[in-house]
Amino acid sequence: MPDLKPLYDAILTGDVQTAKSTTEQALAGGMDPVKLVQDHMVPAMGEVGRRFECNEFFVPELLLAARAMKAALELVRPLLVAGGVQPTGRVAIGTVKGDLHDIGKNLVAAMLEGGGFEVIDLGVNVAPEKFVAAVKDRGAQVVALSALLTTTMPAMKSTIDALKQAGVRDQVKVLVGGTPVTQKYADEIGADGYSESAAGAPALTRQVLK
Amino acid sequence: MTDQQWQILLAAIRGEPLRPLPTGFIIDSPWLPNWAGHTILDYLTDGSVWFESHQKALAAFPQTMFLPGFWSEFGMCTEPSAFGAVSSFGEDDFPFAKKLLQTVEAVDGLEKPDPRTDGLLPFVIKRLKRWQPEIEKSGHKIRFAVARGPLNVASFLMGTTEFLMAIKTDPERMHKLLNLITDYLVEWIAWQRECFPTIDGILVLDDLVGFVGQSDFLEFGLPYVKRVFAAEVTVKFFHNDAPCKVCAPYLHEAGINLLNFGIQHTLNDMKEWTGNKITLLGNLPPRDVLAQGAPEQVREKTIALINGLKDRSRLILSCGGGMPPGAPAKNIEVFIATVRELTA
Repeated sequence: MPDLKPLYDAILTGDVQTAKSTTEQALAGGMDPVKLVQDHMVPAMGEVGRRFECNEFFVPELLLAARAMKAALELVRPLLVAGGVQPTGRVAIGTVKGDLHDIGKNLVAAMLEGGGFEVIDLGVNVAPEKFVAAVKDRGAQVVALSALLTTTMPAMKSTIDALKQAGVRDQVKVLVGGTPVTQKYADEIGADGYSESAAGAPALTRQVLK
Repeated sequence: MTDQQWQILLAAIRGEPLRPLPTGFIIDSPWLPNWAGHTILDYLTDGSVWFESHQKALAAFPQTMFLPGFWSEFGMCTEPSAFGAVSSFGEDDFPFAKKLLQTVEAVDGLEKPDPRTDGLLPFVIKRLKRWQPEIEKSGHKIRFAVARGPLNVASFLMGTTEFLMAIKTDPERMHKLLNLITDYLVEWIAWQRECFPTIDGILVLDDLVGFVGQSDFLEFGLPYVKRVFAAEVTVKFFHNDAPCKVCAPYLHEAGINLLNFGIQHTLNDMKEWTGNKITLLGNLPPRDVLAQGAPEQVREKTIALINGLKDRSRLILSCGGGMPPGAPAKNIEVFIATVRELTA
């Protein structure tokens, strides 16, 4: 079995080249792609999340780790698809209509990808109908809504209403987050979950999908 | 601010014992226009609406100070607009500057703007010039030069994610960018001071310093923030309502003597981390309590805030961050009255 500690370390340090080359070597050596993801990549991003939570890592370190993870994952993903392996879950994520601030959304997307989820990144300023389409057409099981501004928070409720009107609310779990968002607000608008931090997103998503 | 309010502010900064403890709030476009019954766009584009909104707030809350006071602004668009960033204005949305630099390499082509002529900056100056006689007639003076901080401006020009990654992947180019922005901000502040000799304070707003670790703050934050605050003014006011623990011990070294921070930290913690060398403006939860709480809850949380203080020097009681959108007059009144009652 190849030494995969360098892959773990490369994700932790955000070293894209080493993450890619180690992954390529492992796959060329016959490593099971599922094991590669579950035993090496996911634990690495888990460690990134832990360090972020206890202020050993900050936003730049988290973003770089996510980029390295993503680069490695792109090499593995075709093999997973070919092998019929399903992701842990499929999440459509975006900042709500009117909100152009992407940092929170990007951090959560990174943590979810690192946690083995397939992430459909809808970008910023996403209209409710685009979230609906992601559920209907792309099979998103979770919709993750981000808002940085108090003024754009009501678009979270509009999005949930749009999911209801489209008749898909029962098919999808809705998660909300962002600086002004609270558990109280999440409850008020009928969201299924709220996470205070990006690092908590994978665990929350797994929990709501149970 | 009136002369009396300014003297109270200076006394708080000097650490003099004050009874009652002063209260103060940063007020600007996220709160003031809607509170005064206008859309944000009307407030930003119509000088009369802007002036009357300030007058209305000053009349409604005479026992508190508003900082910076008569703030001529276009939200996050003000400083990036001078570089050529597209400014986006919805009728009642916060203005937003669209990302200007599509690649890290594009930093090399960026030119330093002229604060006298570029972007929205002349509009900022003209607004104040036009209303200066009325401001002064009402007993107030223009006291502060205001600017978004270097990291904040960089994040608008590049995108936050891209900028925060680039400080790791292309540090040399990010220093080039931050140097250029800082040169511009220094000139922008100097120009405001030249236009309004009554200015004796600087307000710099930069939440991005809260997103980086210590080594990155020392390399990419402190040197530039320090340069922006190097101007010879009495009040050096910094706003960062993102996490502040990493940068707090260094803020005094940057020249800062007044700090508004977020609700992640308590006043007691912040006093310890700043060595009680900086006057703190905080720290009632802005959204959950001041904007959305019932008046009884505002009173209860204000009492808890005051009773929890270990040291009452160098304090101006406020909320953690600027006045939040939707904060009702009643809650603000209750906060001010409770502080006055308990600290008289």
